[in-house]
Amino acid sequence: MEFKVDHRPEFSWLTVQVPANKKLFVEAGAMATMSTNMSMKALFKGGLRRFISGESLFLSEYKSEQINGEVCVAPGVTGDIGHVLLNGQKFYLSSSAYLAHSEGVSYSTKFQKLSQGLLSGAGWFLIEMSGQGDVWFNAYGALEVIDVNDEILLDNGHIVGFTEGVQYEIIKLGGYKSLLFSGEGFVCRFRGQGKVFIQTKKPASLISWADGFRPIRRDSSGD
Amino acid sequence: MIIEKKCEPASTIAICHLEPGEVIYAESGAFMAMKGPVQFETSTRQKSGGGFLKGLKRLVSGESFFINKFTATAKSQVYLGTALPGDMLIKKLNGEKLIIQGGSFVASEPDVNIDLEWQGLKSIFSGENIFWVKAKGTGHVIINSFGFIYPIEVNGEYVVDTGHIVAFEETLNFEISKASSGWIQSFLSGEGFICRFKGQGIVWCQSHSPRGFGHELRPYLKSKRG
Repeated sequence: MEFKVDHRPEFSWLTVQVPANKKLFVEAGAMATMSTNMSMKALFKGGLRRFISGESLFLSEYKSEQINGEVCVAPGVTGDIGHVLLNGQKFYLSSSAYLAHSEGVSYSTKFQKLSQGLLSGAGWFLIEMSGQGDVWFNAYGALEVIDVNDEILLDNGHIVGFTEGVQYEIIKLGGYKSLLFSGEGFVCRFRGQGKVFIQTKKPASLISWADGFRPIRRDSSGD
Repeated sequence: MIIEKKCEPASTIAICHLEPGEVIYAESGAFMAMKGPVQFETSTRQKSGGGFLKGLKRLVSGESFFINKFTATAKSQVYLGTALPGDMLIKKLNGEKLIIQGGSFVASEPDVNIDLEWQGLKSIFSGENIFWVKAKGTGHVIINSFGFIYPIEVNGEYVVDTGHIVAFEETLNFEISKASSGWIQSFLSGEGFICRFKGQGIVWCQSHSPRGFGHELRPYLKSKRG
């Protein structure tokens, strides 16, 4: 599908031209504007696993009725939007990074190995995109692509997605002192041949910074 | 060592290209990614001096207690980022001394000596970090800012709100004082404390004050028990 991304990288927003009678799937709540011939349907995409993973249980389906239409999609966080064109291969996204996909691509939630999911901070689930067509994803901050041809180590909160052909595992960085005091602790090690997409900011850092400004309640009621 | 800046100005990251044997020290939490064989170690200090007390000072200054050391065993890259949206300043020191606002320090090369300086009692009330980081030596220092960063060449006298200071050259004399002559006026103006620079040198300022943003957010944040 034809598309453009404006106002990169901080305030990216995506405009997709949807050909007549074709469908575009968008993260629930991310549609900002659209042409009047688009019909919208909420799709229930599966139960318990998504519920546990904290993702929305629904995806929005936009269908262009009779004539060509357009949909503008705005991600929830300020940042860049990336695109990959699938042609039979698979692409993996962290659960917060999914934005939209075209007809012909299938979306599924993959359970990570317990040790990987629990410790990675990237959620227990990964999204696996496969098939033929477009996939759009969003980042907090700018997007950077790192080519993996041997191995790389990544802070978990910065992972957006990766291509087929790389495997990852959670490892402990440094000794026990590092685990407790480095602010890093566990990291993801990617190996193989492929690409990893990272975001330059992570929400967790902003939140821990803002934590210092929380008002302090001094009460003795003990609630 | 080549340090590359990318995605400026709002989502800036620093990519340090390390040659075999080169070392970079980074503030904990700055690490994003590393490519190539890098040894990682957490220490309370840099080089030989310091130890526990220095670590403790680092904790008080708003810099974390521990600092992470990355040593390249072959050609590799270390990606560093920051919490708040903003730019970075990569400054190569050649023996001169730079004074950096506590929370703005990101990373430095091993031949840059990092020390902390107590700013006196007044700075406690200013709401900024009560320690400033003194960097001296030869090599790169990476500093972050909230918003964009702009240098001001001071020749004579200049006044900067303490929340907007990122770093300044040590050739400048400075004095922290109230924004207005009266305490109540200073308090009501919201400016609080200002830094009066005298002499010749550069002050790097940030377009936004983290304290200002934090105070804007405060009413929306859930309170925590004291």
